[in-house]
Amino acid sequence: MGNKLKELRMGGVRGAACLTAFATAMVATSAVAGESAGTGVISLAPIDWIIVGLYFVAIVGIGLYLRKFTKTGEDFFMGGRKNSSWVAGLAFLSANLGALEILGWTGGTMKYGMFVSHWYWLGAIPAMLFLGLYMMPFYYSSKIHSVPGYLKLRFDERTRLLNAFSFAVMTLLMSGINLYLMALVFNVLLGWDWHVSMWVSAAAIGCYITLGGLMSAIFTEIVQFFLIWAGLFLVTILGVADLGGPAQVFANLDANMTTLWRTTASAANNGMGVTWMGLIMGLGFVLSFGYWTTDFLVVQRAFSSKDLRSARLTPITASFFKMALPFIVVGAGLVALQLTKNASGFEILPHPTTGKPWYDSALPMLIARYYPVGLVGLGITALLAGFMAGQAGNVSAFNTVWTYDIYKAVINKKASDAHLVWVGRVTTIIGILLSVATAYVAKQFDTIMDYIQAIFSWVNAPLFATMLLGMFWKRTTSRGAFWGLICGMVVSFGIWLLFYVDARYVFLDGSPIANPTLASILTLAENPSEMTRNLWQAVWGWVVCFGVTLIISLFTTPKPDSELVGLVKGLTVEDDGSVKVAWYGRPGFWAVVSLAVLIFLNIMFW
Amino acid sequence: MGTEANGSCNDREGRLPLPIWFFVGVILLVYGLLVIVGQAFDKGTHAAQIGQPGYWWGAILAVAGVIFTALGLVIHRKQRC
Repeated sequence: MGNKLKELRMGGVRGAACLTAFATAMVATSAVAGESAGTGVISLAPIDWIIVGLYFVAIVGIGLYLRKFTKTGEDFFMGGRKNSSWVAGLAFLSANLGALEILGWTGGTMKYGMFVSHWYWLGAIPAMLFLGLYMMPFYYSSKIHSVPGYLKLRFDERTRLLNAFSFAVMTLLMSGINLYLMALVFNVLLGWDWHVSMWVSAAAIGCYITLGGLMSAIFTEIVQFFLIWAGLFLVTILGVADLGGPAQVFANLDANMTTLWRTTASAANNGMGVTWMGLIMGLGFVLSFGYWTTDFLVVQRAFSSKDLRSARLTPITASFFKMALPFIVVGAGLVALQLTKNASGFEILPHPTTGKPWYDSALPMLIARYYPVGLVGLGITALLAGFMAGQAGNVSAFNTVWTYDIYKAVINKKASDAHLVWVGRVTTIIGILLSVATAYVAKQFDTIMDYIQAIFSWVNAPLFATMLLGMFWKRTTSRGAFWGLICGMVVSFGIWLLFYVDARYVFLDGSPIANPTLASILTLAENPSEMTRNLWQAVWGWVVCFGVTLIISLFTTPKPDSELVGLVKGLTVEDDGSVKVAWYGRPGFWAVVSLAVLIFLNIMFW
Repeated sequence: MGTEANGSCNDREGRLPLPIWFFVGVILLVYGLLVIVGQAFDKGTHAAQIGQPGYWWGAILAVAGVIFTALGLVIHRKQRC
């Protein structure tokens, strides 16, 4: 009883401190926004401000509410493993669905047209279904806390540490990019002070993750999912109505802007400069599978499911919502493209640092064009939620990996459960501070998606080869996995560095540093575009990791079968209870439906 | 409540939080109403006037909010008892 009272008191003190810090930050934001009123492109009415403010109150309030349900490590890091496939599925999708992606791909549609849909369909759905059907049994049944945790069980400690450190660095970088771009977008659009908006959102995220752990992150991610549909889908609806109907959205555009596959025979035929081979191998296979099946940020949401069947259904459920997103992103992008061609007075902004057309401003400029008071606040809140949930997802994944795969594995092997929860909370705050610091580093990069693609290529693409061999070939050895992963990461990074230097620097006599022929060989394309280079550096990272792991494994001793039970295909009982439920409750059935929808969409926009 | 009074609830200490659907519902309801109010105050200064989307979109959000709030409460009651 005494302990309970003390606990409640502590929770209350922490909550009060959070609310005080939050209130102070909000006052500071309002003051600064007020000082710089008129400098932004969009102005907020009092009702818009109330809507934005209520969002902060809601997420911090949810964190406070969930605090009393977050006592053990399972609660804090795994959301109690009590979630249905609906909750876990929406969180799975939302962890990936940041404002970064929405703004980036809406702008990308203005440049590349319908091609962007590949990132939502080919570049996601097959991998999500594969994860649910074939990989989840090994992840979930082993009751691990993280993807690096699986590497420890399947291979050894050093492979886990290698992946844990690279993942930790990657999540912090991603979190920093999120923060930086959020501050940049709101500074240009609304005139909010760059530093204050960054620190206020970081403080709010720090509060609710520290209080409620993964469950807080999942709750706010699902809120974000609904806010994005509530606040942004209307842009497409109003835009289509403004243009005169769906047919006008595609009118007078070249085939490379309105189709998915027709212009992929040659890289020269489409704006993205990629061929069908590059799309399928780079995006549809390596990058997509590398991200969706091994990135702990999204997979962690499936781990929070209440049973194996729910865990398997998690990515399958998410796949349907993923396929619907182009109706917001691509739809809005095509509307923006048509408006700029139609002399409607619609313009995107120049980039605040480079002065070039800032395609990422397309969606906010559509909000400014179509939304009345109130809806503007909702649209801005949806973007804000998208940025913050993206960062929260990174931070919650970071605190789990740091706590279980680095702290407990290396620093304090005998740490109690209560101590680990404390470490997780401290790590959350440190992670937030490091994200803020990283945001300043992110300013060095002038494009959004290319940077993300590059990071995924270094870490996730080789890891997918390791996972694939580890889960489906019991002969894979620990030594093979470790050196394969190292070689894959080094090669992927090396190719990125080669292209990076090639694009920016020349020798003193003006001759190119990198050999153009080498770039053509590596990408199987003449004058490869930046996107093609990104895709192929991932492919080579995967191929090298796969090859090295395979060869070394053939010459080294594998673990005995008894140590691989539950971790490898053929040695694991994969009963998820599906046989006891009706056919419409089985993961396999919904995976087939999802695949059928994917095929239909690709044929429809062929 | 009736079930709790009869003592058949197996989770009296409230170990399970309210489902996320409840929070989603409340947020959509409040935002839907605010969007409707916002449309009423809009002076129509934005570039393109297409109907009055705040009214009907706000109403859709509010109705969705009510449904989700009720759904959340029903699920919570089932989980607790």
